[in-house]
Amino acid sequence: MSAMLELVDVYKIYQVGDEEVRALNGVNLRVNEGDFVGIVGPSGSGKSTLMHILGCLDVADFGTYYLDGQPVEHFSANDLATIRNLRIGFVFQSFNLIGRMTIEENVELPLLYRRVKPAMRRALVDEALHQVGLYNRRKHTPSSVSGGQQQRAAIARAIVTNPSLILGDEPTGNLDSKTSAEIMEVFETLSSQGKTVVLITHDTQVASRARRIVHIMDGTVSEESIR
Amino acid sequence: MILQSLKMAGKSIRANKPRALLTMLGIIIGVMSLVVLVSLVNGATSSVTNQIASMGNDMLTVSVSDDKGKPLKLSDLEQIAALESVTLAAPTTTASATAKQGADSYSVSVTGTTNAYFHIMKSELAKGRFLLDADQENNSRVVVLSYETADRIFGRSDVVGQTLKMDGVRYLIIGVLVEDTSLMSSFSQTYAVYVPYSVVERMSSGSGAGGMMQGGGSGSSSGISSFYAMASESSTIARAQIELTVEMLARFGNDEDAFSIRNQSSLSETLSSVTDTFALLLGGIAAISLVVGGIGIMNIMLVSVTERTREIGIRKAIGARKASITLQFLIEALVICLIGCFIGIVASGLVLMAVNLASGTSSYTFSGEILLIAVAFSTFIGIVFGLYPANKAARMRPIDALRYE
Ligand SMILES: Nc1ncnc2c1ncn2[C@@H]1O[C@H](COP(=O)(O)OP(=O)(O)O)[C@@H](O)[C@H]1O
Ligand SMILES: [Mg+2]
Repeated sequence: MSAMLELVDVYKIYQVGDEEVRALNGVNLRVNEGDFVGIVGPSGSGKSTLMHILGCLDVADFGTYYLDGQPVEHFSANDLATIRNLRIGFVFQSFNLIGRMTIEENVELPLLYRRVKPAMRRALVDEALHQVGLYNRRKHTPSSVSGGQQQRAAIARAIVTNPSLILGDEPTGNLDSKTSAEIMEVFETLSSQGKTVVLITHDTQVASRARRIVHIMDGTVSEESIR
Repeated sequence: MILQSLKMAGKSIRANKPRALLTMLGIIIGVMSLVVLVSLVNGATSSVTNQIASMGNDMLTVSVSDDKGKPLKLSDLEQIAALESVTLAAPTTTASATAKQGADSYSVSVTGTTNAYFHIMKSELAKGRFLLDADQENNSRVVVLSYETADRIFGRSDVVGQTLKMDGVRYLIIGVLVEDTSLMSSFSQTYAVYVPYSVVERMSSGSGAGGMMQGGGSGSSSGISSFYAMASESSTIARAQIELTVEMLARFGNDEDAFSIRNQSSLSETLSSVTDTFALLLGGIAAISLVVGGIGIMNIMLVSVTERTREIGIRKAIGARKASITLQFLIEALVICLIGCFIGIVASGLVLMAVNLASGTSSYTFSGEILLIAVAFSTFIGIVFGLYPANKAARMRPIDALRYE
């Protein structure tokens, strides 16, 4: 199988005062197309930093990140924006929906930045909303629906562009266990449809849904277990 | 993309209406002062220009500042009128006097002149007659009133044959001019009256019985300090001016500074340069208030960018390029400016209509040009003061923006 993502000896070092914090300390990681990976580690272990690099929101200080065999470190901010728009769908712990806009407008947003024609946008937005079971709530604003529904909206926004990679940073961190289980089912369905899914979590219960678990500790990938 | 940015701008403006309105206030006031002030100045200018044009283009105004001990007399004006290119010359010595009618007293502006004055000014009579040469010779205490003077003092214009007491002396009213319908006259509160030049001359030289009139001429108390001359029909105004200049130079020992001769076009040029300066000054003040409005917009846009840091982070995470973010905030600033401009223009229209109702005349010129300037200036302000906040938003790094609480 071809490697969809590959990190080779990646470092991310923050200077805090006169102290050096190695958020990522030589990470090597391969994610194949269609993988469902759970990255587990305690708070402060470097999970979010890793997710930012995988999601092209940030670049490594040292080492190389290959996305579909292509190194991304020399891309400009605008190139990275285009890559994020075309190939990556994000799901955040705090949902990150825009409060002034309805759910369907939030879901439509990535398509606007891609200059999709209005009729096509309508169809794609409706399809994504149906897929996460939120179609009848599409005219609501985020604050008027439950946390689980907000996260479904965020997932709809992540999948509406049909990206090859879906990244989740603690997507169930703000949800109760029953809702968490429902959200994890959505991710499982996406995975079964052939999407590459990488979820970051400190909850081993959540991670156990993944096909492959990567442990991270003090900025280093320490062990992997494959189901 | 622009359509989407417009929608987004509309949404975020609607999300905080009071703030948007307060932000617009600077632009509204700026546009209002620009449109209202410039329209009023333009209105006044065109009314004055029309009035000057209606006086005809054949008149010269001569004023003497230094008569070299050789004061101009009426007989000298006759000589001037005899010049080939000049048909008429009339003294315009002015003085002020207090007129009494019943218990009321009025300050009137007295012009001492001759019959020629009314022909040069193309005056028309409503009642009675003009001053005649015989009135000069006899030093007759007769007076011609402007329509407004008659109307304000007597409450009617049919007053020929009555007397008017000025500075304690009774004058027989021999004529009343027709009503002046121009805008300037409706603003002016002057009570214009015309008496024989010889009467004013005698009073100002102190020999008049009980005369308390204050002579208007400075430095030449016993002569004519200013007069009007009319170019003859066969001649041009330029020719008349040259011939008159030669005549005056000869009289005052070739001293160019002893007198000045001005024609209608130099008068309207002076006037239009004054009103242009005035319009420029007021326009400048309005422009400054627009700039201040623009600074207000920049201020609010900076606050808005900071408040929406997380939103910017989200937009960037899902693939917004720098240009999209810049466009979004720039269009928001522009929309605020243009809505403010529109409100300002509508408000200006209302204010100008109110001014018209109050003054009872058409006192402004509402040109499309000034509206265009207002829109262009607002657009300019929106872009200039929107660009910095928009760039600030576009330059944010996505992870920093997403981390922002
Ligand atoms: N912008 C930053 N500046 C300084 N230190 C940072 C920054 N981001 C993360 N860190 C540090 O890097 C380490 C890893 O952070 P993070 O990736 O957020 O961990 P996790 O998501 O696993 O909790 C932590 O010690 C954190 O304090
Ligand atoms: Mg984290």
